Amino acid sequence: MKFDNIIIGGGLSGLTCGIKLAEQGKKCAIVSSGQSAIHFFSGSFDLLGKVNGEEVTNPLESMKFLPQQHPYQRVGLENIERLTDEALHLLIRAGLSFTGKADRNHYTLTPMGVMKPTWLTLNDFTSFDQKDSFPWKKAVILNFSGFLDFHTLFIKDGLKKFDINAQIKNVSMKQFEAIRKNPSEMRSTNIAKEFDKGNAIEEFAQKANLLSEGFDVVILPAVFGLFNKSVADQLKEKINKPVLLLPAIPPSVPGIRSQITLRERFQELGGTYLLGDNVEEGIFEDGRLLEIRTNNHGDIKFEADQFILASGSFYSKGIVATHDKLYEPIFGLDIDGDNNREEWFDEKFFNDQAFMRYGVKTDENFRALMNGEPVQNLFVAGSVLGGANPLKEGSGAGISLLTSLHAAEQILK
Amino acid sequence: MNKNRSKEYDVIIIGGGATGAGTARDCAMRGLSVLLVERHDFATGATGRNHGLLHSGARYAVTDHESAAECIEENMILRKIANHCIEENDGLFLTLPEDDIAFQSQFVDACSSAGISTEIIDPKLALQMEPSANPDLIGAVRVPDGSVDPFRLTMSNALDARLHGTDILTQHEVTDILKEQDRVIGVELFDHGKKEKVNYYGKIVCNAAGIWGHHIANFAGVNINMFPAKGSLLIFGHRVNKMVLNRCRKPANADILVPGDTICLIGTTSERIPIEEIDNMYVSKDDVDVLIREGVKLSPSLATTRILRAYAGVRPLVAADDDPSGRSISRGIVLMDHKERDGLEGFVTITGGKLMTYRLMAEEATDLICKKLSVDKKCETASIPLPGSEKSEETLSNAGNKIYTGASITQKSAKDRHGSLAHKIANGDSNEDSMVCECEGVSIGEVKYAINELHVNNLIDLRRRTRVGMGTCQGELCACRAAGLLCESMEEAGKAKDDLANFLQERWKGMSPIAWGETINEIQFTSWIYEGIYGLKPENN
Repeated sequence: MKFDNIIIGGGLSGLTCGIKLAEQGKKCAIVSSGQSAIHFFSGSFDLLGKVNGEEVTNPLESMKFLPQQHPYQRVGLENIERLTDEALHLLIRAGLSFTGKADRNHYTLTPMGVMKPTWLTLNDFTSFDQKDSFPWKKAVILNFSGFLDFHTLFIKDGLKKFDINAQIKNVSMKQFEAIRKNPSEMRSTNIAKEFDKGNAIEEFAQKANLLSEGFDVVILPAVFGLFNKSVADQLKEKINKPVLLLPAIPPSVPGIRSQITLRERFQELGGTYLLGDNVEEGIFEDGRLLEIRTNNHGDIKFEADQFILASGSFYSKGIVATHDKLYEPIFGLDIDGDNNREEWFDEKFFNDQAFMRYGVKTDENFRALMNGEPVQNLFVAGSVLGGANPLKEGSGAGISLLTSLHAAEQILK
Repeated sequence: MNKNRSKEYDVIIIGGGATGAGTARDCAMRGLSVLLVERHDFATGATGRNHGLLHSGARYAVTDHESAAECIEENMILRKIANHCIEENDGLFLTLPEDDIAFQSQFVDACSSAGISTEIIDPKLALQMEPSANPDLIGAVRVPDGSVDPFRLTMSNALDARLHGTDILTQHEVTDILKEQDRVIGVELFDHGKKEKVNYYGKIVCNAAGIWGHHIANFAGVNINMFPAKGSLLIFGHRVNKMVLNRCRKPANADILVPGDTICLIGTTSERIPIEEIDNMYVSKDDVDVLIREGVKLSPSLATTRILRAYAGVRPLVAADDDPSGRSISRGIVLMDHKERDGLEGFVTITGGKLMTYRLMAEEATDLICKKLSVDKKCETASIPLPGSEKSEETLSNAGNKIYTGASITQKSAKDRHGSLAHKIANGDSNEDSMVCECEGVSIGEVKYAINELHVNNLIDLRRRTRVGMGTCQGELCACRAAGLLCESMEEAGKAKDDLANFLQERWKGMSPIAWGETINEIQFTSWIYEGIYGLKPENN
């Protein structure tokens, strides 16, 4: 099979890259092994939340303090503002409504009740302008009886810092009795599926309205709308108080919905999405990747003019660690990281962990290096790139979106 | 400071390991009024940091006849009194091509003289019995080894001590030993919960603090020559072996593979460390490499089995009093009457020994305490079962007739963990049956039971009582669920967040030495959930 471009990895980077290329008329395929980091999406995309331990208010301004090997520096700071704008519009065209600005972080409330700076927030969720004030006085936190993945007491404790004495109330509904009977079924996606059917929305909204009498805001777990995209909006319309959704323990319902939305956009643009498939190997000639073979397709070759590796970090198996080395498992590309495992970790869990910065080595145009030489038509994007600790910086989604758009631009040049 | 001496115990026991809890039980059963104090939680020292091997004694048969004989005797007793803490797996001593097969007959003879039953097994048959064993083996001997859960064993002793009137203080650290002239009269404790000092008084103070007994003795002004020996172990993600696997040779590093619960363990290394390091156990890269290299010889599939954690414990070895250099180290039980030894009345130290002989150590210590208090009552701990150990009417065969629903998975797990006390765990309603920890099948009911009845102060304690967070995900999702429940019962969310952060740090300590393969992937995922999405950081709490 012959494509213009083949993207390895169906997460945020792979899909962004695929959509961008397909929008420009390229014939694209994405090979995805399955779930991705979007499945634990918090509701927001971060661009840059911290530099050198200092909280950032204007990410575009603060990027100049990042080290030279950082993906943003390598994309070129002169390109960043344009790419952030493009990322937002690509998401909106796909049908995901996000709000936010690249030159000024806003805040979202975490399930620990802490305000966290971020860039783009999905409209299910609530953006705050200030980190030290909460716009409502009386809050009620509603949870589903038996749902263990939403930590109301932590939220209540966090809100105390804003002088809010929140109340916690539970909602029981017969629609959830069946899933509650099985001890491991009362999880976010199963609750979402009940709401997707449509017969729980009205009753839940009525209960929420009763329980929120005398309160200014209703706080709920973000478990609405898995396949049925309108559930969250319908609820917000029927509940007569402002609704503040907070993430529950993964899998994230809005995350899965966003992934599906992006995949559908890619497919509507004519893209081929191979789900549940793994790239096994590549055939190289004269410094170019000619074709790849996948697990599900056996002898069928996949050829393309350019390839994009967007296979993610360790948890997506874009990079693999053994007791004595790190490697890139598909092609054996060069790794920017230390093979000595004593260098990977700090003894304190919450400290900066070196392994978080490890990734595939590239040249200045984001072409993968193999034995020190760039592969002419193999570009690298997203968290499989090294050079940043996205967790400490609050830069994970930004790096995925911007490096994949940048890679697409290199191809489209 | 509290000078009120209105409540004076007969005996104050320091140390919540198996020995301390066992001594508390024994003393209480003989009618003494007992206070048991522990600085952290039950089984946090050497008790909880070993193989969990129910030694038959075969390992010591050739080199240490006395220990071997003690082991087999206690082994048979524990099968009777603690059957819910024990798996009767049996063990194989394998001779590999690099080992001397002539050692086998010497080994079998030594076992039989210590009273340990042995059976020489044809290598082919041995492989059928234990398919995970190294297929190159040239000899195998079957012995009555098994597995013992040290957390459960210690908790059962503490529970029974409590049933017999013992007062228990966990999170209370001894900061001084109170004396009047040549007599110990009590202890000064620091209450880690309330952050304050408090005194307790007793006629006898019993030092059962394992290696930490070194410091306790110093508080009393006496010196015990202790030599800490660090032993490191690795936990694998599932049970590779059904039977305990040993090497049939003189004891060496990393030559025991023990199955237990859902996992198996390889260990140990042995290394003398300075006494200053006993609170800072780490497992080095070299330790890990040795354990894997030797473990693979026992069972080749370990090479490709996921490692969950690495951990290390400290054996309290005691040098003979006339040998300060520590060259002649005893591995046996050491009981000291400091009146005889140092002229200090009211102070007793029980140390040395091993998990297997905790009950015997408790018996010897209690005999001495009773003698000092002129109490004449016989020890009954060898015959009266521990709570939870009473034989249950439900046998494995009729359990198999049941249709396994989700809820019965949690009930079965609870029964495995709590024995006949499992009925105390609320179940049967969808709230109580909801699963907190999916790896280990822990229900809300079990967590609540542990919080209410089993002295749980934090998430790390909860893990030792229920196995929450001990499975393959190492607490990735269940830690937060359990923290939520703990928070409900303690109604102090700020503390629960700190607790969650501490729990993740504690898991990290065991994972970082072996974090490659799936483990590094899980760690990255865990970091994203807790720090990335939840915004959990120690400084935010």
